[in-house]
Amino acid sequence: MRAVLMSLLSLTLILGTAGCTKKKKADYDLDIATTLRINISTEPPSLDWHKSTDTTSALIQDNMMEGLVEYNLTDKELGLKPALATEWRAENNNQTWFFTIRKGVKWTDGQELTAQQFIDGWQRLLTPATAAEYAYFLYGIKNARPFNEGKLTDFSQVGVSVTDKGELKVELTSPTAYFPYLLTHHSTFPVRLDVIAKHGDQWIEPGKIVTLGAYTLKVWDHDKAIVLERNEGYYGEKAKTKHILAYMINELSTALNLFNAGKIDAQTQLPSTELRELRKRAEYRETGILSIYYYGFNVKKPPLDNPIVRKAISHAIDRKEVTQMLDGGQIPLTSWVPPGMFGYEPNMGTEFSPDKAKQLLEQAGYKDRSKFPKIEIGFNTNDDHKRVAENIQAQLKRNLGIDVELKNEEWKVYLKSLKTDPPHIFRLGWLADYPDPDNFLNLMTSYSENNHTRWGSKEFDDLIAKAVGLATQEMRAQVYTEAQKILTEKDVPVAPIYASVAHSLVAPRVVDFPFNSMQRFVFKGVSLK
Amino acid sequence: MKEKILLFLGADWDKSLLIGLPIALCVLVTLFLDFFGFEVPTALYVVDGLLILGAFLHFTITQGLVTYVFKRTGEALVVVMVIATLTFLLLRLVPGGPFDQEKALPPEVKANIEAKYKLNAPIYEQYFDYMAKLAQGDLGESYKYIGRPITDILAETLPSSVQLGIYALLISFLIGIPAGVYAASRHNTMADSLTMITAISGVALPSFLVAPLLILFFSFYLEWLPPALWEGPEYYILPIITLGVRPAAVIARLTRSSVLDVIRSDYIRTARAKGLSEMVILYKHVLKNSLIPVLTFSGPLVAGVLTGSFVIELIFAVPGMAKHLIQSVSNRDYPLILGTTLVFSLVLVFANLIVDLLYAYFDPRIKLT
Amino acid sequence: MSTGSTSAVIQSPSVSPSVPRKKPQSLWGDAIKRLKKNKAAVVSAYFVLLVCLVAIFAEQLAPYPFDIQDMSKILQGPTAENWLGTDSLGRDLFSRIIFGARMSMAVGIFTAVISLVIGVFVGAVAGWFGGKMDAVLMRFVDILYSVPTLVLLILVKVIFDSVQMFENPELKALTGITLALSVVGWVTLARVVRGQVLQVREMTYVEAARALGASGPWIVIRHVIPNIMGPIIVLLTYQIPSNILFESFLSFIGLGLQPPFSSWGVLANEGWRSLRTYPHLMIWPGVALFLAMLAFQLFGDGLRDAFDPQMKGKT
Repeated sequence: MRAVLMSLLSLTLILGTAGCTKKKKADYDLDIATTLRINISTEPPSLDWHKSTDTTSALIQDNMMEGLVEYNLTDKELGLKPALATEWRAENNNQTWFFTIRKGVKWTDGQELTAQQFIDGWQRLLTPATAAEYAYFLYGIKNARPFNEGKLTDFSQVGVSVTDKGELKVELTSPTAYFPYLLTHHSTFPVRLDVIAKHGDQWIEPGKIVTLGAYTLKVWDHDKAIVLERNEGYYGEKAKTKHILAYMINELSTALNLFNAGKIDAQTQLPSTELRELRKRAEYRETGILSIYYYGFNVKKPPLDNPIVRKAISHAIDRKEVTQMLDGGQIPLTSWVPPGMFGYEPNMGTEFSPDKAKQLLEQAGYKDRSKFPKIEIGFNTNDDHKRVAENIQAQLKRNLGIDVELKNEEWKVYLKSLKTDPPHIFRLGWLADYPDPDNFLNLMTSYSENNHTRWGSKEFDDLIAKAVGLATQEMRAQVYTEAQKILTEKDVPVAPIYASVAHSLVAPRVVDFPFNSMQRFVFKGVSLK
Repeated sequence: MKEKILLFLGADWDKSLLIGLPIALCVLVTLFLDFFGFEVPTALYVVDGLLILGAFLHFTITQGLVTYVFKRTGEALVVVMVIATLTFLLLRLVPGGPFDQEKALPPEVKANIEAKYKLNAPIYEQYFDYMAKLAQGDLGESYKYIGRPITDILAETLPSSVQLGIYALLISFLIGIPAGVYAASRHNTMADSLTMITAISGVALPSFLVAPLLILFFSFYLEWLPPALWEGPEYYILPIITLGVRPAAVIARLTRSSVLDVIRSDYIRTARAKGLSEMVILYKHVLKNSLIPVLTFSGPLVAGVLTGSFVIELIFAVPGMAKHLIQSVSNRDYPLILGTTLVFSLVLVFANLIVDLLYAYFDPRIKLT
Repeated sequence: MSTGSTSAVIQSPSVSPSVPRKKPQSLWGDAIKRLKKNKAAVVSAYFVLLVCLVAIFAEQLAPYPFDIQDMSKILQGPTAENWLGTDSLGRDLFSRIIFGARMSMAVGIFTAVISLVIGVFVGAVAGWFGGKMDAVLMRFVDILYSVPTLVLLILVKVIFDSVQMFENPELKALTGITLALSVVGWVTLARVVRGQVLQVREMTYVEAARALGASGPWIVIRHVIPNIMGPIIVLLTYQIPSNILFESFLSFIGLGLQPPFSSWGVLANEGWRSLRTYPHLMIWPGVALFLAMLAFQLFGDGLRDAFDPQMKGKT
């Protein structure tokens, strides 16, 4: 027994020392001088661009794939520029669109890009069995919706086809001025069905995935990091930085620590209480983004069924106080469309006026404040939402003399409450899917899935439907002004609070970091000093 | 010389040491290599596994515990099944579904998704479906990490968690036991009180307060250690300490009180009366007997380390599994919640079984039936 | 996370067999006498008492209400007006820590009491009736022991947060967290109580009572429970800090107390991310938490020694 054990022991030690030669790789053998190190916060839920729905996956996909068109990130207004389509045009009052596919674009396995690969991708997105959440992105296309519902099984009836000239032709159900914007989105990217057929669900792993963007997927170390490598066969100007190393660090303060320790080059989300100090640093940047933060009113719950009460509350909230408290450069907002796109109306809506607010409340019959029913402000559990809610609670007490209770719920519980029985007042936000006011105003139509106020106005719905078909931006802007008046001055089912701002720290060695209002992080133009 | 060493180690637990020491040494060598970032040869893991398994079999067979172990294993599996069922049902009671999100989905899209994951089927059907697959070792696919098998996720994240947990346990024993013995040997002195106050302090702060303090001091003030990530020995130190502090403190307290207990017992008095030296008494008689209660505590200890690891994994960006345990709940990623819960339960159940066996081994008075 | 500190002491065999089973009066008298000799425990007891008083008289003691905001004083360090500085809404941190004592203690004590009721009931039933009842109940307890506490805690917390049975906003805020912690907390108590009942039930005077025809529940309430009060009180002293720590841990995952109320855990959690920039936000709630934990532990140790004459007698 003893001898056996002793020999086993010595064997172990020998094996142990024998194995001592190889060191584990820590940073994937990358040269830091040519590697941009970023943090994408979490493991990307999926790199399959038809199935993912989150910004983390989108960031990786946007760097290794492209759509028909892409944002011109150097343009303040975020215009579009050609990508896989060299040119496009609309006919039939913005209802039929034609895209000329770029010639000579090669996938990473050497095959050439074809128009059919777009149709393949869209068919895949819309096929019910794919269960793609973003299928609704293409619902504007003729027959796309019934196909996704399973009512229509013949995809050739869906309004997308290749013309004799090799153009991609898209027929829409109604005029849509902003349609090309949708094509910047990863869910509309082309796909190689043969690759998917070959590898199944695993096709998105390095070595299997076939892409055509400026970077390729080199390493996907699940739950740790992703490494992207420059695609030398890219059709356009090659990426300036050889590698991108994307860590998955969830906790903001941890990411900040790593930035401070020089382990990452850019961090695009910062702990909000630190902003006051961080903004003193040279690496700090604030970027306006197309996103609003608002409080909605449940217009079916008394006393908020009375528009005068809603108006009184909206008048009693000093947005400036909220943004000062948050101290992150947010822009106080009383109208609906955020700054950074047409339709922004800085002087519209309910201005801060405690006198007006009190007067309105009395007009509504609550001279005696004790008669004012108890109302609740609901928000999902989060430190910043809590701070805003606590501040607005205090403001309503101070400016209007009414007591409101706070109720926070865990995110998914909160979403469920919003769907079934929204609290009197609830917090929500909206981040643009495409930089067009339609995306914001459509949100409040009576048929919108995302309108939790229970408010609906035929007049408003009609205006929104009318605007998308109009030819010029000026004409559309006029209609949107009218719609916003109804929303923020007449019926007031919502109280916009502020337009959001993104905060980032970027190391000095990073040149041309893609700050933009859509938070599209495409790194091909980034170089390192 | 040999006699002296044996005497020092405690001659009457000769046998246990003869088996225990080589195993411990092998495992320690493995851990050591792993800690310092060497690619540990698989053969070494195999040898470790064989050694432990061999000792385990030797013990169960010689002690006639084979049926007992079988019985307990069976029971453990039943317990895990019950836990799976409970969790499954509890999950359906929790409001909010996996595909509820800020931007609401059109009903058609939702219907497609529910059809794909069979969420539209009656609950009992979903349940039997899940259990049937579970019986074949299939934990399903994640809802959040679309298309990824749960087993893959677990296989990729478990190693870091296990590393973190084992190192933390190791240092908690390495610090806790000597500290406890030391305090007991200086009973009712300043040193005793100081050690114990330190130990109590160790359990008095939640780890999310300890971690930032350590990071501030070691990473930014002294600049000795990196503030986060999991890429090598220097990265391991802070997370391990943060996680190990609490169990170390508990072990120190436990060791102290049980050493005191043993010291006061009659046979130690007899030993003293026989004129054996204090060192011999302390190591030969006291330590062995007083380790038993510490050992029994290892079960709850494992549980504590498992639970506590979430905070550590988050703050130090350790790519482990505890993170998924929490995040899968907020994502309502049912298969992943169930998967992680089952792994944790299995670890707990078997930790308890092993503790019971060790207990019986060290204290022959205990009969396992 | 903190299960360790409580169960460690309780499960150690050196404690459990030594249940005092003499007449209650002398037991209590002796215990208090012994407790008084332990200086650390006495100081701790006073500190615990102080925290309780602060919790009760928070309104009178705090210089400001806990929710009054001052936008001109956001995130300031300690000043003459705000002794411990202000938070991100310009609220006085000192006042918030004082009110935090109330919520922390409430979570600790309410949870301990609810766990106690369930634990004693289940433990007593299992221990007294034995047999199948015992087997079933204890198997259930075993299963709960093997569920990862954290998952259970999060799931029940999310479920219980929708329970609304109080009008009082403070109680409303406490409901979810207290119930959730109790679901996890009673298990240890049930085990200990069962063990104690099993022992006591064989004692002569209990057998005598039974022979005289007293009913089961009566005997348990009249004779058994008073006799196991010692270990139960010790357990409770350990449960309270453990609950407070667990609450702070839940705050960390964002499942703590409902705002605008703050416990020490919530406050510490609001502060830890800013340790480098606004250290006061983490340090002071941390100190409060630390001192209270320390006091409860030392007091608990004192109580345990006091109720365990076997051990003390030998020193």
